[in-house]
Amino acid sequence: MHSEPLIILVVATALAFDFTNGFHDTANVVATSISTRAVAPRVAVTIAAILNFVGAFISLKVAATIATGIVAAGAITLPVVFAGLIGASVWNLTTWYFGLPSSSSHALIGGVVGAMIAAKGTGAVQFAGLLGKVIVPAFISPILAFAIAGTAIAITYRLTARLRPGPAGRGFRHGQLFSGGMLALAHGTNDAQKTMGVITLALIANGNISAAHFAVPAWVVISAASAIALGTYAGGWRIIRTLGTRIIKMDAAQGFTAQTAGAAVVLAASHVGYPLSTTHVMAGGITGAGAGKRLSAVRWGMAGNMAIAWLLTLPAAAAVGAGTYAATTTIGNGTLGPFVIAAIALAAILSLMVRRARELTANPADAKQ
Amino acid sequence: MTLAATIIDAHALLQLLYASVIAGVGICVVYACAVVGVTRSNERRRAHDHRAATLYGALASVALAICVVAIVAGITIMATK
Repeated sequence: MHSEPLIILVVATALAFDFTNGFHDTANVVATSISTRAVAPRVAVTIAAILNFVGAFISLKVAATIATGIVAAGAITLPVVFAGLIGASVWNLTTWYFGLPSSSSHALIGGVVGAMIAAKGTGAVQFAGLLGKVIVPAFISPILAFAIAGTAIAITYRLTARLRPGPAGRGFRHGQLFSGGMLALAHGTNDAQKTMGVITLALIANGNISAAHFAVPAWVVISAASAIALGTYAGGWRIIRTLGTRIIKMDAAQGFTAQTAGAAVVLAASHVGYPLSTTHVMAGGITGAGAGKRLSAVRWGMAGNMAIAWLLTLPAAAAVGAGTYAATTTIGNGTLGPFVIAAIALAAILSLMVRRARELTANPADAKQ
Repeated sequence: MTLAATIIDAHALLQLLYASVIAGVGICVVYACAVVGVTRSNERRRAHDHRAATLYGALASVALAICVVAIVAGITIMATK
Protein backbone atom coordinates (compact mmCIF):
# COMPACT_ATOMS: atom_id res chain seq x y z
CA MET A 1 0.00 0.00 0.00
CA HIS A 2 1.45 3.37 -1.01
CA SER A 3 -0.01 6.40 0.75
CA GLU A 4 1.69 9.76 1.12
CA PRO A 5 -0.64 11.15 3.84
CA LEU A 6 -0.25 7.95 5.87
CA ILE A 7 3.56 7.85 5.64
CA ILE A 8 3.67 11.50 6.77
CA LEU A 9 1.40 10.61 9.73
CA VAL A 10 3.56 7.59 10.65
CA VAL A 11 6.83 9.57 10.44
CA ALA A 12 5.31 12.38 12.55
CA THR A 13 4.09 9.83 15.13
CA ALA A 14 7.54 8.17 15.21
CA LEU A 15 9.28 11.52 15.75
CA ALA A 16 6.76 12.42 18.47
CA PHE A 17 7.59 9.09 20.14
CA ASP A 18 11.30 9.89 19.80
CA PHE A 19 10.70 13.26 21.49
CA THR A 20 8.92 11.53 24.42
CA ASN A 21 11.80 9.02 24.59
CA GLY A 22 14.28 11.87 25.11
CA PHE A 23 11.86 13.59 27.50
CA HIS A 24 11.45 10.40 29.56
CA ASP A 25 15.09 9.32 29.63
CA THR A 26 16.71 12.66 30.52
CA ALA A 27 16.58 11.54 34.15
CA ASN A 28 18.75 8.50 33.37
CA VAL A 29 21.37 10.69 31.75
CA VAL A 30 21.57 13.72 34.05
CA ALA A 31 20.23 12.60 37.43
CA THR A 32 23.50 11.30 38.87
CA SER A 33 25.51 14.34 37.68
CA ILE A 34 22.99 16.75 39.19
CA SER A 35 22.47 14.82 42.42
CA THR A 36 26.21 14.77 43.22
CA ARG A 37 26.39 18.47 42.21
CA ALA A 38 29.05 17.64 39.62
CA VAL A 39 27.37 19.84 37.01
CA ALA A 40 24.87 22.69 37.24
CA PRO A 41 21.43 21.43 36.16
CA ARG A 42 21.07 23.78 33.18
CA VAL A 43 24.53 22.85 31.91
CA ALA A 44 23.88 19.11 32.43
CA VAL A 45 20.65 19.21 30.42
CA THR A 46 22.17 21.30 27.61
CA ILE A 47 25.22 19.00 27.30
CA ALA A 48 22.96 15.91 27.40
CA ALA A 49 20.78 17.31 24.58
CA ILE A 50 23.80 18.14 22.39
CA LEU A 51 25.48 14.75 22.98
CA ASN A 52 22.21 12.88 22.38
CA PHE A 53 22.11 14.62 18.97
CA VAL A 54 25.75 13.76 18.21
CA GLY A 55 25.36 10.18 19.46
CA ALA A 56 22.60 9.47 16.95
CA PHE A 57 25.13 9.75 14.11
CA ILE A 58 27.69 7.26 15.48
CA SER A 59 26.19 3.93 14.45
CA LEU A 60 23.22 2.40 12.56
CA LYS A 61 23.44 -1.21 13.76
CA VAL A 62 20.54 -0.93 16.21
CA ALA A 63 18.38 0.67 13.49
CA ALA A 64 19.19 -2.33 11.26
CA THR A 65 18.17 -4.75 14.04
CA ILE A 66 14.83 -2.97 14.54
CA ALA A 67 14.11 -2.71 10.80
CA THR A 68 15.19 -6.19 9.72
CA GLY A 69 15.72 -8.48 12.72
CA ILE A 70 12.47 -8.55 14.71
CA VAL A 71 9.55 -8.59 12.29
CA ALA A 72 9.47 -9.64 8.62
CA ALA A 73 10.20 -6.36 6.85
CA GLY A 74 8.53 -7.58 3.65
CA ALA A 75 5.24 -8.27 5.44
CA ILE A 76 4.96 -4.98 7.31
CA THR A 77 2.32 -2.37 6.44
CA LEU A 78 1.94 1.29 7.41
CA PRO A 79 -1.08 0.67 9.70
CA VAL A 80 1.03 -1.96 11.56
CA VAL A 81 3.88 0.51 12.16
CA PHE A 82 1.37 3.20 13.14
CA ALA A 83 -0.46 0.88 15.58
CA GLY A 84 2.88 -0.19 17.09
CA LEU A 85 3.88 3.43 17.68
CA ILE A 86 0.52 4.30 19.23
CA GLY A 87 0.72 1.16 21.42
CA ALA A 88 4.18 2.19 22.65
CA SER A 89 3.15 5.82 23.24
CA VAL A 90 -0.01 4.84 25.14
CA TRP A 91 1.95 2.42 27.36
CA ASN A 92 4.67 5.04 27.94
CA LEU A 93 2.17 7.73 28.91
CA THR A 94 0.18 5.36 31.13
CA THR A 95 3.31 4.33 33.06
CA TRP A 96 4.39 8.01 33.22
CA TYR A 97 0.97 9.00 34.61
CA PHE A 98 1.06 6.33 37.33
CA GLY A 99 4.76 6.92 38.04
CA LEU A 100 5.86 3.41 37.01
CA PRO A 101 9.38 2.94 35.67
CA SER A 102 9.29 1.48 32.19
CA SER A 103 11.41 1.20 29.06
CA SER A 104 10.50 3.27 25.99
CA SER A 105 12.58 0.88 23.87
CA HIS A 106 10.75 -2.25 24.95
CA ALA A 107 7.41 -0.45 24.62
CA LEU A 108 8.28 0.40 21.01
CA ILE A 109 9.39 -3.15 20.14
CA GLY A 110 6.40 -4.67 22.00
CA GLY A 111 3.97 -2.32 20.22
CA VAL A 112 5.27 -3.18 16.75
CA VAL A 113 5.35 -6.94 17.48
CA GLY A 114 1.80 -6.89 18.91
CA ALA A 115 0.43 -4.97 15.92
CA MET A 116 2.23 -7.35 13.55
CA ILE A 117 0.72 -10.41 15.26
CA ALA A 118 -2.75 -8.83 15.05
CA ALA A 119 -2.24 -8.05 11.35
CA LYS A 120 -0.39 -11.07 9.97
CA GLY A 121 -0.26 -13.65 12.74
CA THR A 122 2.72 -15.01 14.63
CA GLY A 123 4.43 -16.17 11.41
CA ALA A 124 5.44 -12.57 10.57
CA VAL A 125 7.38 -12.15 13.81
CA GLN A 126 11.00 -13.31 13.92
CA PHE A 127 10.83 -14.85 17.40
CA ALA A 128 14.47 -15.98 17.23
CA GLY A 129 15.51 -12.36 16.60
CA LEU A 130 13.16 -11.07 19.30
CA LEU A 131 14.55 -13.53 21.85
CA GLY A 132 18.21 -13.36 20.84
CA LYS A 133 18.48 -9.62 20.12
CA VAL A 134 15.96 -8.09 22.53
CA ILE A 135 14.84 -10.36 25.39
CA VAL A 136 18.17 -12.05 26.29
CA PRO A 137 20.17 -8.76 26.18
CA ALA A 138 17.35 -7.09 28.16
CA PHE A 139 17.85 -9.61 30.98
CA ILE A 140 21.63 -9.54 30.84
CA SER A 141 22.27 -5.78 30.52
CA PRO A 142 21.03 -4.55 33.94
CA ILE A 143 22.83 -7.44 35.67
CA LEU A 144 25.98 -6.60 33.70
CA ALA A 145 25.75 -2.88 34.61
CA PHE A 146 25.12 -3.88 38.25
CA ALA A 147 28.21 -6.14 38.29
CA ILE A 148 30.45 -3.58 36.54
CA ALA A 149 29.40 -0.69 38.79
CA GLY A 150 29.62 -2.87 41.93
CA THR A 151 33.10 -4.16 41.08
CA ALA A 152 34.34 -0.73 39.97
CA ILE A 153 33.10 1.08 43.10
CA ALA A 154 34.60 -1.60 45.39
CA ILE A 155 38.04 -1.21 43.74
CA THR A 156 37.68 2.59 43.62
CA TYR A 157 36.90 2.83 47.35
CA ARG A 158 39.88 0.60 48.10
CA LEU A 159 42.23 2.75 45.96
CA THR A 160 40.99 6.06 47.38
CA ALA A 161 40.35 4.94 50.98
CA ARG A 162 43.23 6.95 52.45
CA LEU A 163 42.49 10.17 50.56
CA ARG A 164 40.75 13.10 52.21
CA PRO A 165 37.09 13.03 51.11
CA GLY A 166 37.05 16.63 49.86
CA PRO A 167 39.73 16.48 47.14
CA ALA A 168 38.78 12.91 46.14
CA GLY A 169 35.11 13.89 45.78
CA ARG A 170 36.11 16.91 43.69
CA GLY A 171 38.15 14.61 41.42
CA PHE A 172 35.21 12.29 40.80
CA ARG A 173 32.85 15.24 40.24
CA HIS A 174 35.22 16.42 37.48
CA GLY A 175 35.15 12.84 36.13
CA GLN A 176 31.38 12.97 35.98
CA LEU A 177 31.60 15.67 33.32
CA PHE A 178 33.01 12.96 31.04
CA SER A 179 31.06 9.94 32.32
CA GLY A 180 27.79 11.92 32.04
CA GLY A 181 28.77 13.03 28.54
CA MET A 182 29.55 9.46 27.51
CA LEU A 183 26.20 8.32 28.88
CA ALA A 184 24.34 11.01 26.89
CA LEU A 185 26.28 9.97 23.79
CA ALA A 186 25.41 6.30 24.43
CA HIS A 187 21.74 7.18 24.91
CA GLY A 188 21.61 9.11 21.64
CA THR A 189 23.38 6.25 19.85
CA ASN A 190 21.10 3.45 21.06
CA ASP A 191 17.71 5.14 21.52
CA ALA A 192 17.54 7.46 18.49
CA GLN A 193 18.35 4.45 16.30
CA LYS A 194 15.16 2.68 17.41
CA THR A 195 13.05 5.45 15.90
CA MET A 196 15.27 5.44 12.80
CA GLY A 197 14.62 1.69 12.47
CA VAL A 198 10.85 2.13 12.80
CA ILE A 199 10.73 4.99 10.26
CA THR A 200 12.83 2.87 7.89
CA LEU A 201 10.36 -0.01 8.35
CA ALA A 202 7.54 2.38 7.42
CA LEU A 203 9.45 3.57 4.34
CA ILE A 204 9.94 -0.08 3.31
CA ALA A 205 6.22 -0.73 3.80
CA ASN A 206 5.36 2.33 1.71
CA GLY A 207 7.71 1.28 -1.09
CA ASN A 208 10.12 4.21 -0.67
CA ILE A 209 12.98 1.82 0.24
CA SER A 210 13.63 -1.74 -0.90
CA ALA A 211 13.59 -4.37 1.87
CA ALA A 212 16.41 -6.14 0.03
CA HIS A 213 18.74 -3.11 0.17
CA PHE A 214 18.43 -1.80 3.71
CA ALA A 215 19.69 1.74 4.23
CA VAL A 216 18.64 4.49 6.62
CA PRO A 217 18.15 7.78 4.69
CA ALA A 218 20.15 10.78 5.95
CA TRP A 219 16.99 12.83 6.62
CA VAL A 220 15.73 10.04 8.92
CA VAL A 221 19.00 10.14 10.93
CA ILE A 222 18.94 13.95 11.22
CA SER A 223 15.24 14.18 12.15
CA ALA A 224 15.46 11.35 14.75
CA ALA A 225 18.61 12.92 16.25
CA SER A 226 16.88 16.32 16.45
CA ALA A 227 13.69 14.90 18.01
CA ILE A 228 15.52 13.01 20.79
CA ALA A 229 17.77 16.02 21.50
CA LEU A 230 14.77 18.38 21.74
CA GLY A 231 12.97 15.88 23.99
CA THR A 232 16.03 15.62 26.23
CA TYR A 233 16.22 19.41 26.51
CA ALA A 234 12.48 19.78 27.21
CA GLY A 235 12.38 16.87 29.67
CA GLY A 236 15.35 18.18 31.58
CA TRP A 237 13.52 21.10 33.12
CA ARG A 238 10.95 18.83 34.77
CA ILE A 239 13.75 16.63 36.12
CA ILE A 240 15.58 19.67 37.46
CA ARG A 241 12.49 20.77 39.39
CA THR A 242 12.16 17.29 40.87
CA LEU A 243 15.84 16.85 41.70
CA GLY A 244 16.07 20.38 43.06
CA THR A 245 14.23 19.24 46.17
CA ARG A 246 14.72 15.50 46.25
CA ILE A 247 18.35 14.55 45.83
CA ILE A 248 19.32 10.92 45.40
CA LYS A 249 21.78 9.96 48.13
CA MET A 250 24.89 9.14 46.18
CA ASP A 251 28.51 10.26 46.41
CA ALA A 252 30.54 11.45 43.41
CA ALA A 253 32.52 8.19 43.09
CA GLN A 254 29.26 6.21 42.95
CA GLY A 255 27.80 8.62 40.39
CA PHE A 256 30.93 8.30 38.25
CA THR A 257 31.01 4.48 38.35
CA ALA A 258 27.25 4.16 37.71
CA GLN A 259 27.46 6.45 34.67
CA THR A 260 30.63 4.82 33.31
CA ALA A 261 29.14 1.32 33.74
CA GLY A 262 25.91 2.44 32.01
CA ALA A 263 27.74 4.14 29.15
CA ALA A 264 30.07 1.13 28.63
CA VAL A 265 27.16 -1.35 28.46
CA VAL A 266 24.96 0.79 26.17
CA LEU A 267 27.82 1.71 23.79
CA ALA A 268 29.02 -1.93 23.58
CA ALA A 269 25.43 -3.06 22.94
CA SER A 270 25.00 -0.43 20.21
CA HIS A 271 28.18 -1.72 18.57
CA VAL A 272 26.79 -5.26 18.28
CA GLY A 273 23.29 -4.02 17.35
CA TYR A 274 21.34 -4.75 20.54
CA PRO A 275 18.48 -2.32 21.23
CA LEU A 276 18.86 -1.95 25.01
CA SER A 277 16.83 -0.01 27.52
CA THR A 278 18.87 2.86 29.02
CA THR A 279 16.40 2.92 31.92
CA HIS A 280 17.15 -0.72 32.80
CA VAL A 281 20.90 -0.34 32.38
CA MET A 282 21.13 2.81 34.50
CA ALA A 283 18.92 1.30 37.21
CA GLY A 284 21.32 -1.68 37.27
CA GLY A 285 24.37 0.62 37.37
CA ILE A 286 23.00 2.83 40.17
CA THR A 287 21.92 -0.21 42.21
CA GLY A 288 25.36 -1.80 41.70
CA ALA A 289 27.15 1.37 42.79
CA GLY A 290 24.96 1.45 45.91
CA ALA A 291 25.39 -2.26 46.67
CA GLY A 292 29.17 -2.03 46.15
CA LYS A 293 29.32 0.39 49.07
CA ARG A 294 26.81 -1.31 51.35
CA LEU A 295 24.15 -3.90 50.41
CA SER A 296 21.63 -2.44 52.85
CA ALA A 297 21.92 0.93 51.06
CA VAL A 298 19.80 -0.45 48.21
CA ARG A 299 16.01 -0.40 48.46
CA TRP A 300 15.53 -4.00 47.31
CA GLY A 301 11.72 -3.75 47.50
CA MET A 302 11.79 -0.87 45.01
CA ALA A 303 14.19 -2.84 42.79
CA GLY A 304 11.69 -5.74 42.82
CA ASN A 305 8.81 -3.45 41.77
CA MET A 306 10.92 -2.10 38.92
CA ALA A 307 11.73 -5.65 37.77
CA ILE A 308 8.00 -6.49 37.64
CA ALA A 309 7.28 -3.32 35.61
CA TRP A 310 10.08 -4.30 33.20
CA LEU A 311 8.66 -7.80 32.71
CA LEU A 312 5.23 -6.33 31.95
CA THR A 313 6.35 -3.75 29.38
CA LEU A 314 6.85 -5.98 26.31
CA PRO A 315 3.58 -7.97 26.62
CA ALA A 316 1.54 -4.94 27.72
CA ALA A 317 2.77 -2.74 24.85
CA ALA A 318 2.20 -5.67 22.47
CA ALA A 319 -1.40 -5.97 23.71
CA VAL A 320 -2.00 -2.22 23.25
CA GLY A 321 -0.36 -2.36 19.78
CA ALA A 322 -2.59 -5.29 18.77
CA GLY A 323 -5.69 -3.54 20.13
CA THR A 324 -4.79 -0.33 18.30
CA TYR A 325 -4.36 -2.23 15.04
CA ALA A 326 -7.76 -3.92 15.50
CA ALA A 327 -9.39 -0.55 16.24
CA THR A 328 -7.66 1.10 13.27
CA THR A 329 -8.85 -1.49 10.78
CA THR A 330 -12.36 -1.54 12.30
CA ILE A 331 -12.76 2.20 11.73
CA GLY A 332 -11.69 1.96 8.13
CA ASN A 333 -9.04 0.69 5.78
CA GLY A 334 -6.56 3.02 4.14
CA THR A 335 -5.88 6.37 5.74
CA LEU A 336 -9.17 6.92 7.63
CA GLY A 337 -8.50 4.51 10.52
CA PRO A 338 -5.00 5.77 11.42
CA PHE A 339 -6.08 9.44 11.22
CA VAL A 340 -9.11 8.85 13.49
CA ILE A 341 -6.96 6.89 15.98
CA ALA A 342 -4.27 9.60 15.84
CA ALA A 343 -6.89 12.27 16.65
CA ILE A 344 -8.27 10.18 19.54
CA ALA A 345 -4.75 9.47 20.87
CA LEU A 346 -3.80 13.16 20.65
CA ALA A 347 -6.96 14.19 22.52
CA ALA A 348 -6.33 11.51 25.18
CA ILE A 349 -2.69 12.55 25.61
CA LEU A 350 -3.59 16.24 25.93
CA SER A 351 -6.36 15.51 28.45
CA LEU A 352 -3.99 13.27 30.47
CA MET A 353 -1.31 15.99 30.50
CA VAL A 354 -3.79 18.72 31.46
CA ARG A 355 -5.19 16.50 34.23
CA ARG A 356 -1.70 15.75 35.56
CA ALA A 357 -0.79 19.45 35.43
CA ARG A 358 -3.96 20.30 37.41
CA GLU A 359 -3.15 17.62 39.98
CA LEU A 360 0.34 19.02 40.38
CA THR A 361 -1.00 22.58 40.72
CA ALA A 362 -3.47 21.40 43.38
CA ASN A 363 -0.85 19.34 45.22
CA PRO A 364 2.72 20.49 44.40
CA ALA A 365 4.20 17.80 46.71
CA ASP A 366 3.32 15.21 44.04
CA ALA A 367 5.80 16.82 41.68
CA LYS A 368 8.59 15.67 43.92
CA GLN A 369 7.60 12.00 43.72
CA MET B 1 21.67 -26.55 22.99
CA THR B 2 21.49 -26.29 19.18
CA LEU B 3 18.29 -24.22 19.37
CA ALA B 4 19.83 -21.86 21.92
CA ALA B 5 22.95 -21.54 19.75
CA THR B 6 20.76 -20.71 16.73
CA ILE B 7 18.76 -18.06 18.58
CA ILE B 8 21.55 -16.45 20.58
CA ASP B 9 24.51 -14.93 18.77
CA ALA B 10 27.15 -16.05 21.28
CA HIS B 11 29.88 -14.03 19.54
CA ALA B 12 27.92 -10.76 19.82
CA LEU B 13 26.92 -11.51 23.40
CA LEU B 14 30.51 -12.29 24.42
CA GLN B 15 31.66 -9.11 22.67
CA LEU B 16 29.10 -7.14 24.72
CA LEU B 17 30.26 -8.82 27.95
CA TYR B 18 34.01 -8.38 27.59
CA ALA B 19 33.92 -4.94 25.95
CA SER B 20 31.63 -3.45 28.59
CA VAL B 21 33.48 -5.08 31.52
CA ILE B 22 36.92 -3.98 30.26
CA ALA B 23 35.73 -0.46 29.42
CA GLY B 24 33.48 -0.01 32.46
CA VAL B 25 35.71 -1.41 35.21
CA GLY B 26 38.94 -0.39 33.45
CA ILE B 27 38.09 3.30 33.01
CA CYS B 28 36.76 3.57 36.59
CA VAL B 29 39.88 2.00 38.09
CA VAL B 30 42.30 4.00 35.92
CA TYR B 31 40.41 7.22 36.70
CA ALA B 32 40.56 6.38 40.43
CA CYS B 33 44.36 6.13 40.00
CA ALA B 34 44.28 9.59 38.40
CA VAL B 35 42.33 10.98 41.39
CA VAL B 36 44.87 9.39 43.76
CA GLY B 37 47.72 10.83 41.71
CA VAL B 38 46.35 14.39 41.59
CA THR B 39 45.35 14.44 45.27
CA ARG B 40 48.64 12.96 46.55
CA SER B 41 50.68 15.15 44.21
CA ASN B 42 49.05 18.30 45.64
CA GLU B 43 49.57 17.05 49.22
CA ARG B 44 53.25 16.22 48.59
CA ARG B 45 53.84 19.57 46.88
CA ARG B 46 52.43 21.41 49.89
CA ALA B 47 54.76 19.30 52.10
CA HIS B 48 57.72 20.37 49.87
CA ASP B 49 58.34 16.72 48.88
CA HIS B 50 58.84 17.56 45.19
CA ARG B 51 60.12 14.12 44.13
CA ALA B 52 57.00 12.32 45.39
CA ALA B 53 54.82 15.12 43.99
CA THR B 54 56.36 14.63 40.54
CA LEU B 55 55.89 10.84 40.70
CA TYR B 56 52.24 11.18 41.72
CA GLY B 57 51.79 13.83 39.03
CA ALA B 58 53.18 11.41 36.45
CA LEU B 59 50.78 8.70 37.68
CA ALA B 60 47.86 11.12 37.27
CA SER B 61 48.98 12.18 33.79
CA VAL B 62 49.42 8.61 32.54
CA ALA B 63 46.05 7.53 34.03
CA LEU B 64 44.21 10.49 32.48
CA ALA B 65 45.90 9.88 29.13
CA ILE B 66 44.78 6.20 29.24
CA CYS B 67 41.18 7.30 29.97
CA VAL B 68 41.16 9.76 27.06
CA VAL B 69 42.72 7.24 24.64
CA ALA B 70 40.23 4.54 25.74
CA ILE B 71 37.24 6.84 25.19
CA VAL B 72 38.47 8.11 21.79
CA ALA B 73 39.35 4.56 20.67
CA GLY B 74 35.93 3.25 21.75
CA ILE B 75 34.03 5.93 19.82
CA THR B 76 36.28 5.50 16.78
CA ILE B 77 35.69 1.73 16.70
CA MET B 78 31.93 2.27 16.93
CA ALA B 79 31.89 4.91 14.23
CA THR B 80 34.05 3.03 11.73
CA LYS B 81 32.84 -0.60 11.95
